[in-house]
Amino acid sequence: MEALASDDRVLKLQREFKAAPDMVFAAWIEPEQIAQWFGPEGMSVPRKEIDARVGGKWLTTMRGADGAERIVSGVYREIDRPRRLVFTWAWHNDGKRGHETEVTVEFRAKGEGTLMTLTQRTFAESRDRDMHQMGWSSSFNDLARFLGG
Amino acid sequence: MNLQTASPGNVAGLFAALSDPHRLAIFERLAAEGEKTVGEIGEPFDISGPAISRHLAVLETAGLIERRVEKQWRVCRVREEALMAVEDWVTRQRRFWNASFDRLARHLENQEEKKDGSARKR
Repeated sequence: MEALASDDRVLKLQREFKAAPDMVFAAWIEPEQIAQWFGPEGMSVPRKEIDARVGGKWLTTMRGADGAERIVSGVYREIDRPRRLVFTWAWHNDGKRGHETEVTVEFRAKGEGTLMTLTQRTFAESRDRDMHQMGWSSSFNDLARFLGG
Repeated sequence: MNLQTASPGNVAGLFAALSDPHRLAIFERLAAEGEKTVGEIGEPFDISGPAISRHLAVLETAGLIERRVEKQWRVCRVREEALMAVEDWVTRQRRFWNASFDRLARHLENQEEKKDGSARKR
């Protein structure tokens, strides 16, 4: 596992699920499953393009109850089923991809269930140079405290 | 990091400007404690006055803080709009995941029932 440098600024969330790691992992990469839970209650996911392999792109469109749609997309960086999934993440604004982040999801067996840890962080420029002109190396930690971490 | 991309109202620029630990610390302190003079801002740090000034210039360019001169003092404070913009992104993103995970938990319970079928029924 990648160690966090002390000055890394990250959004970190943990949640336990009553399902084995492989099942939780599958819910992240199988389009029909993603559509079942991605986004807050009331969202539907009419468009889901998932190329779940390293370097593969993903894109989902989420439609709210009001009909408004928001697009979020990225690229898979690591797929180590059922342990670890890493992908890039950016909401689209006015047709352009906005603030680019990297999402790491780790799945650890806990009893019969899974402890899932999501870490979302901004990019270091060197890791992102192929895709973006802008460098990211930090987020805003104090506003993104550990939840149950 | 490309600081030219940092501009007011641009969340990307805000995050880029906050990517430095010194600048983040300066910004957080100003946000928590209100306006301060440049001298006060530099006190906790073991870096030079000019280095502090450079950090403040980056924060100002990004629209995170504003500087003014009061008598002989140079005073800095956080721009509320910037604080809201930064908070908004993180808060929204966190809310997105938490709401999604609530649904994921229910979805997985359904999957589990489907998978196990009658074997699990008691």
